[in-house]
Amino acid sequence: MLGPVLAFVLAIALAPLLFSLFISLTDYRLTDPTQAKPFVGLGNYLKAFQDKAVLETLANTVVFTVGAVTSQVLLGLALALLMSGETPFMRTLRSLAIMPLALPPLVVGLVWKALYNPQFGPVAYYLKQIGLSVDRGFLGEFTTAMPAVLVIDLWQWTPLLMIIFLAGLKSLPTEMLEAAYVDGASRTQAFFYITLPMLLPVIFIGVLLRTMNAFKVFDIIFATTGGGPGNATSVLNFHIYKVGLTFFDMGYAAALANILLFMIGVCCAFYVVLLRRQRATEF
Amino acid sequence: MSLQKFRAILGVMGATALTLAACAAPPAAAPAAPAAPAATEPAAPAQPTDPTGIVTREFAGSKLTLAAQTDQFVEAFRALIPKFEELSGIDVTMDELGYVDLRQKATADFVGKTANYDLITVDIVWSGEYGQNKWTVDLKPLIERDKAQLALDDILPVMWTLGSWGEGQWAYPLAGYANVLNYRTDLFEEAGVSVPKTLAELQEVATKLSRPDKGVWGIGLLGAKGPAVAQDFMAYVQQYGSSLLDENGKPAIDTEANLKALEGFKALFEAAPPDATGWWWGDRNDAFSSGKIAMMLNWSTAIKNHKNPDLNPFAEKIETAFSPLGTEAGKYGFGGWGIGINADSKNKEAAWMFIKWITSPPIQKEWVDNNGSPIRRSTLTDPELVKKYPWFPILLESYEKGDGDYRPRQPWYSKMEDVIGTEVNAYLVGQIDAKTALANMQKAALDIIK
Repeated sequence: MLGPVLAFVLAIALAPLLFSLFISLTDYRLTDPTQAKPFVGLGNYLKAFQDKAVLETLANTVVFTVGAVTSQVLLGLALALLMSGETPFMRTLRSLAIMPLALPPLVVGLVWKALYNPQFGPVAYYLKQIGLSVDRGFLGEFTTAMPAVLVIDLWQWTPLLMIIFLAGLKSLPTEMLEAAYVDGASRTQAFFYITLPMLLPVIFIGVLLRTMNAFKVFDIIFATTGGGPGNATSVLNFHIYKVGLTFFDMGYAAALANILLFMIGVCCAFYVVLLRRQRATEF
Repeated sequence: MSLQKFRAILGVMGATALTLAACAAPPAAAPAAPAAPAATEPAAPAQPTDPTGIVTREFAGSKLTLAAQTDQFVEAFRALIPKFEELSGIDVTMDELGYVDLRQKATADFVGKTANYDLITVDIVWSGEYGQNKWTVDLKPLIERDKAQLALDDILPVMWTLGSWGEGQWAYPLAGYANVLNYRTDLFEEAGVSVPKTLAELQEVATKLSRPDKGVWGIGLLGAKGPAVAQDFMAYVQQYGSSLLDENGKPAIDTEANLKALEGFKALFEAAPPDATGWWWGDRNDAFSSGKIAMMLNWSTAIKNHKNPDLNPFAEKIETAFSPLGTEAGKYGFGGWGIGINADSKNKEAAWMFIKWITSPPIQKEWVDNNGSPIRRSTLTDPELVKKYPWFPILLESYEKGDGDYRPRQPWYSKMEDVIGTEVNAYLVGQIDAKTALANMQKAALDIIK
């Protein structure tokens, strides 16, 4: 049975990856009249690290990822703790809380764009009611555009972390907590000294999943800001889309995509090492 | 096996089957066929006549596929294609695509040599890219061959920029757009201002018309990062009498004149709704239709809809004027679409017949009546049409003094547009200053054309 599985992996995962690696070493441009695809070695990769637009989008990607993952982990953990009760009300609340996950990010982006609209959006309306100026709206100001996009991502993806953490909390053994309470530990002490350390492997998995996704963010940016204003929200994946499908520089776009893949791979490796160390200390 | 080969084989099989069926002897019991048609048999329906004399039935039974941008002229295609099909016997399928989709699908079709599309609408700024890559057929030999049918002198000179590049004509003029000023007469009267003729007057009038307390601003502008703000800024630069390229076609963006133009462009935004820095074409049209802005510079193709009471509640109060110019050297912005034939198409002659027919003088009337934009002098001076569309004289003069090169029609245009669209937007929202924006544009432009 190994053959079909191997063939599947080769066809679905490895072949496109190898092709991407190959064309990233060429100056493959769809708009090149000769269609020569000359071999340029690491030229595209070297060019990427001297390209102002790439460096800006890379910085924005890191800001977005750190902002999104940090805020979502904290909020997700808080919500998981708040909603861990097994009452009918809590069960209903949990079901409602995960609804954003069911929506396509593009739709979420468009809905939030309307909510933020400075002319007719409810957010602007209520801000005006309390005397705050909205001018270009949160998505239109370069100082607020990234936080506004982060809020959208927070709204959509925090429930995922909440569910993961909730599953982790439910699977924790209760004996240690009970013993701690008998010994006079407060709820805060019990959380920081018992619950949190035991939950760390689950938190790592949540962080890993969200980091991988946040690095690849595209839909929300595409639907709300188009990378603007200026370059305030232009992230690497959006830039790759532009290079590949607007400028048709396929070799360079492939190199940028591989850089993104490498960064995600490094993050994964980092978390896996952390996870292993954490497990090692448990035994 | 390609889809086309498969279709061809199916076609041959079908034709063979029909031939065999026709040749087969009738069953013995079948009554004998009459030797000659009965005198009382109803006459075949009369073949529709072609007022252009261009369409023949030489290619009857063949198929053409058209990739069309979903601009207003797509309504004209919808109305006219069935007539062409009836006349020619050619089946024309139109794929209506948004701007980005059209560009991506057409490029994939050209590069893959799949010839899914025989005909493609070509934005004026794609001319260089299409010409350099020879993705579409150079129409010059065909134009020369059939010039007797084309009434070439009637096509306004600027229209040929809709597809020309280098020595070739890579698309035929289809729909010419002029940059014009649309304004609300009632708001102008209320503010006691007259139609601005210069950019300085435009600024002054826009400021006077701005009444944010009443929810009305003087002017609507495109400020969104990308093609939107790039197009409006480049139009402003051209009207100002400046240029982004020098006489040798090299980038000359960070000049004193362009600095003044950029600052003037930003100053206009003071009289526009604050969120105009994020507006696309649709946002500006919506603002004009909802009475939020008193005037806007826009492509002429939108005029008809703005003057339609079903689409714009202020239709009766909307007038059209020339775009204000900064200096005598200023020219009117010109753009629009050509129509090209895929270089890999198997139906080039049929496609060329379609182009000749749809752009011919007799068909232009129906073309403009169905929201198509004109390309011919005779259309713009036709008394009947001028009566129906009183802004046609303004269009004619705008075309005559129009410049299709204010957005460089070069293969690298899309990259240049992206840079301009990003830097100008960053300046408008206060992220960088004007000099930095121009310096960034200049540096990036030099890198792009390197």
